[in-house]
Amino acid sequence: MLELLGHQLLTGLFRSSYYWLIASGLTLIFGVTRVVNFAHAAFFVLGGYIALTVDILTGNFWLSVATSTIAVGLLGMAVERGLVKPLYRVESLYQLLITFAVTLIINDASKLIWGAASRSMKIPAELALPVKIAGRSYPLFFFFIIATAVAVFILLYIVLEKTFWGLKVKSTWRDVSMAQALRINTGRIYTTTFFIGSLLAGFGGACMVAFTPVAPGLGDSLIITAFIIVVIAGLGNLIGAYVSSILIGVAESLFLLYLPELDILLIFVIMAVVLLVRPWGLFGEK
Amino acid sequence: MGLVWRKIVDVVAIIILAVAVLFTRDTFLIYLMSLFMIFAIFALSYNIILGYLKLISFGHSLFFAAGAYGVALSSKLAPPDMLLSFLFGIVLAAVLSVTVGYITLRHSQIYFAMLTLAFAMLFYALLIKWRDFTGGSDGISGIPRVSVLFSFPTTESYYIFVLLCFTVAFILLKLIDESFIGIVFRGLGDNENRFKFLGYNPVKYRILALMLSGTFSGLAGTLYALLYRAVTPDIAYWTVAAEPLVMSLLGGSAYFLGPVVGAAVFVGITTAAARLAEIWQLIMGVIIAALLLGVRGGLLGVLERLWQKRF
Repeated sequence: MLELLGHQLLTGLFRSSYYWLIASGLTLIFGVTRVVNFAHAAFFVLGGYIALTVDILTGNFWLSVATSTIAVGLLGMAVERGLVKPLYRVESLYQLLITFAVTLIINDASKLIWGAASRSMKIPAELALPVKIAGRSYPLFFFFIIATAVAVFILLYIVLEKTFWGLKVKSTWRDVSMAQALRINTGRIYTTTFFIGSLLAGFGGACMVAFTPVAPGLGDSLIITAFIIVVIAGLGNLIGAYVSSILIGVAESLFLLYLPELDILLIFVIMAVVLLVRPWGLFGEK
Repeated sequence: MGLVWRKIVDVVAIIILAVAVLFTRDTFLIYLMSLFMIFAIFALSYNIILGYLKLISFGHSLFFAAGAYGVALSSKLAPPDMLLSFLFGIVLAAVLSVTVGYITLRHSQIYFAMLTLAFAMLFYALLIKWRDFTGGSDGISGIPRVSVLFSFPTTESYYIFVLLCFTVAFILLKLIDESFIGIVFRGLGDNENRFKFLGYNPVKYRILALMLSGTFSGLAGTLYALLYRAVTPDIAYWTVAAEPLVMSLLGGSAYFLGPVVGAAVFVGITTAAARLAEIWQLIMGVIIAALLLGVRGGLLGVLERLWQKRF
């Protein structure tokens, strides 16, 4: 019994790391620019597709991860510069709509390029090594993803809290016009944030494609999960987003053990409760 | 009085034109007109949220599908009577819209957009998973168009029913548009703080707006289900909610007639370019992006600038 629980906890942690890799960029971009990047999960899936293609061409997992990280990061930057930027001045409704349009375009474009069937790639040999814990064996990939998620968290924390650039980002986060008055180039901060956020999406997507197959439209359900995680934490709260990723991931994993039929409902129930009790999120400010 | 008379003449002229379509005896044209009117109701109801309140809903497929499944389920489970199941579909959509509104409308715009999407996806998942009740991914077919009082066996005869519903819905929505409630909704969309200063409760009016919008979307859904006499869970998928959004933006969400114009163009494009169905999302995406960056007023906005006349 205890062993089973431990197993569920570990898979829960893995699932949480998967969620965090999507939610981190989403909440970062929202925190700084106040734009909910609807296309974020589509970027994530696109990252998977790009990694897949590079892997087929070169057979090198690490190269494919690097390529897709950079490519998706640049795409995110291009989308911000070309499409979102002209709409900062008008109502926020339009910023959400434009990223929604980008999602639709990416969905169908990836269907055209990579086909409608779901595609996956093999876990690279060095990460497929089995690791034995309490009689069960897990691929090293499991721990690689969990460690990566922690690394992303620490890295984001250091960049935002310990660097001067992070200070500029945080002041933009707090008050844009005040930051501008201090001669902070907020336009560039916005673009860089989009770049970093999309970079994370591309990186996460590329890592995860070795585990979950990608298909056009996969992003549709991922963006909902990611958004719910971010909402539960409080929009724009990075530390909270990591905690609530773990909360949701582990809860889902344990729930799966007892009530597998209702797994899709759990996250909605948690969300509804949080919104009714603490609408500003578990870690958000009122 | 002159203005009212002109309006009545306009309406009568359009109805005569619509009835004239029946005499062409062209089943495909009649079917297309029914489809146009159904989508026009859907888009008009959607625009209460988008145009007046300036909110985005990705969840209107939920209300549309609730109407459609309301008809299908009640005709399957209860003694089939078209009028009864028609009413049941609309009531189901109304109830669901109030429920969803109660949970989602207390928060900001962004919450509303994403949470309605979440509810729509939940509904879609339920329709697929709850196989015994909803027929799973096969849906429910063989919905009768027969009632105690009347029956519409053919597309032609059903067209009259759709036309009747469209006319009633159009007049009701126009009345809402011009009434006190329409003005209140617009005021809320324009400036929430001033709205609060005037002593109104924004949450209450938002829920009211979503209820009206969801109910008329449900009406469109019931008509849609009865047109095809079958439902599948596809209509609950959230991309269906993007269709009235595109129609409203296309026609011009600031105008009452915008969604109707948008629906006409939309049905026209989808029919003329049926082969494009494969990349339909791509086209919608490009249209939205172009509209947002280029002409936020939509087609009516462009026409207005060209003719210097207000719609």
